[in-house]
Amino acid sequence: MRADGLLERLSAIGAAAQASVPGVYAWGVTVAPGAWARGASGLAKAGAIAALLMLAVGLVGERRWVGRARAASLWGFVVACAVSWCAAPAGLSPLRMDGSRGLAGVLGWALFAFVSAAPALKPPDGEDRGDDAPPNAPAQRSTRPDVIYVTVGALLAGVLQSAGWRIAGVERELLGRFIALAAGLAVIGASTEIALQRHAPRATPSDTRRLRRAMAALVALAILALAGLLNLALD
Amino acid sequence: MKLVDVLAIALVLAAVGAFVAGEAAMTRAEDLRAVYWLAVGVVSLRAAVQMVRPGARP
Repeated sequence: MRADGLLERLSAIGAAAQASVPGVYAWGVTVAPGAWARGASGLAKAGAIAALLMLAVGLVGERRWVGRARAASLWGFVVACAVSWCAAPAGLSPLRMDGSRGLAGVLGWALFAFVSAAPALKPPDGEDRGDDAPPNAPAQRSTRPDVIYVTVGALLAGVLQSAGWRIAGVERELLGRFIALAAGLAVIGASTEIALQRHAPRATPSDTRRLRRAMAALVALAILALAGLLNLALD
Repeated sequence: MKLVDVLAIALVLAAVGAFVAGEAAMTRAEDLRAVYWLAVGVVSLRAAVQMVRPGARP
């Protein structure tokens, strides 16, 4: 079937290559119009071109350098887009970016974050397990909960993108966009980790061990909560 | 689903709430509150990931 063939072809390329498709879309909606707007500097254009090149680096280099090429491509693309935006901040102003384009950009970046954080698609016919897998190998768990986890993560990241559009001033708005984007990436990454935990080949550690592992962060969180409560009491 | 998994999911949701509160504070130009809420969000996410990560060192 045609759909199967498309999925097989998509599966044959790596995660960075899969992420390049929504990356190009997000670039086309949010970066290119600002970089090639009237009066935009050469640095904005150079940043925009460098962003595309970083996607190409991920596409070409993933077969040889796998994870490193993926990380370099992802962060190189984001940083190059940031450079382009900083060099032409007027491209993100409400005068140039209407609501529909803003929404399209949010969707493009959310999709890019989702595809970048998720593992690469696996071939549909179980090639990764292979025919030589031991007959008593554990059956693969259902992927439906994974989809729910990652979808909820993507939705939460979308909620983050919807906030902060009313920030006054281009620089603050830009900072708000960066923070929302970084927070969205982190949330999608965390939800993906939670989904992948179900498929961990190693035995899951005990609850006590898991709590002990997160103890430093939990103590920091408690201190922050205490500081917030004290601040409220003093106000 | 274990209690720790529920706690991890609650921490992710709390992180999203903190990020939204941080962005709202930034909208109102309350920078200190924005930094506070963003720190709460980052630490909550860190705690959630540490709880669910299977192979991480203690």
